[in-house]
Amino acid sequence: MSFEWPWQYNFPPFFTLQPNADTRQKQLAAWCSLALSYCRHHKLYTLDVMEAQESPVFNNKKIERKLSMEAIQVVFEQLSKKGNLEWLDKNKSRCLVMWRRPEEWGKLIYQWISKNGMVNSVFTLYELANGDDTEGEEFHSLEEWMLLRSLQALQTDGKAEIITMDDGKGVKFF
Amino acid sequence: MGNLFGKKKQTRVTEQDKAVLQLKQQRDKLRQYQKRINLRLEKERLLAKQLLKDGKRDKALLLLKKKRYQDQLLDKTENQIGNLERLVQDIEFAQVETKVIQGLKIGNECLKKMHEVMSVEEVERIMDETQDAIEYQRQIDDMLAGSFTQEDEDAVLAELEAITQGDVELPEVPEDELPEVPEATEEKPERDGPRKNPEREMLAA
Repeated sequence: MSFEWPWQYNFPPFFTLQPNADTRQKQLAAWCSLALSYCRHHKLYTLDVMEAQESPVFNNKKIERKLSMEAIQVVFEQLSKKGNLEWLDKNKSRCLVMWRRPEEWGKLIYQWISKNGMVNSVFTLYELANGDDTEGEEFHSLEEWMLLRSLQALQTDGKAEIITMDDGKGVKFF
Repeated sequence: MGNLFGKKKQTRVTEQDKAVLQLKQQRDKLRQYQKRINLRLEKERLLAKQLLKDGKRDKALLLLKKKRYQDQLLDKTENQIGNLERLVQDIEFAQVETKVIQGLKIGNECLKKMHEVMSVEEVERIMDETQDAIEYQRQIDDMLAGSFTQEDEDAVLAELEAITQGDVELPEVPEDELPEVPEATEEKPERDGPRKNPEREMLAA
């Protein structure tokens, strides 16, 4: 299944930040949703701003337009305001993208756990994200930070408890 | 964070859970090791092919020997993973068993407590008392029934007889002939039916 680009993607002015406040707002919203759905489609969890500029999202080779560095920053800031993005460093060069909230991931994982009758069992994080059993599940190959956050969300609900050991973490579901 | 107020949060993770986790972590490590070796094997197989193509038979042979050794390693790790998983399953099953025993224990205690409440002597006493009460009740019944004399009984029976006799009495059969019913008014009986019924009932009474 290939990624479906929105119509704006082939519309050259879309790649220049619009001066009119109203238009600009709409444009930013479109960019945000484009960036998120692109990440969702390709299962991307971390983005590098420098690399992002070269990625097809912000660089449409067909119409030879790309979003400027500053504009990308603006889009990212917007995403961060919406809670879908978190900066990893102060220079704002790398960030975490959350196209699905930790609670939602937690729900998905817990559904799988209860469907397979594995409540009350212990799991390693590696097993959950990379094990053979979870092959084909949506949360397969979820990055560890995201997995940890979704488990923390489950922990606040009392559905799981994270176990920290000397080498690596585990989780027990309830 | 829970320690902030000197109150440690109650954890539901038991020592066994931790042991299981440790075993699983070991298994994960072995799995990763397996993946690594598998990838290397694949690469070396391709390399050996390339070497053969280039005519370097000796080197290819050496490489294949190395590969063979790694194959054996792979088998060993597979065995070890099997061992670990079996152990994990054993622990999990033992946990289930202890839960079952706990359940049995609670049930047993409950049953014991309930038995304490109803001792055999108590039951015997209650049954005796009930028997006595039944006996007493029968005496009262007899006494009450006894207040009727034979004469009364006869009168009652006679009355009963009269009532049953009265029921059997049949109404007189009408003697006059029935008028012939024309075929065109076939629906009439339906209308007449309900009107006739009360008459008959009145006769019976």
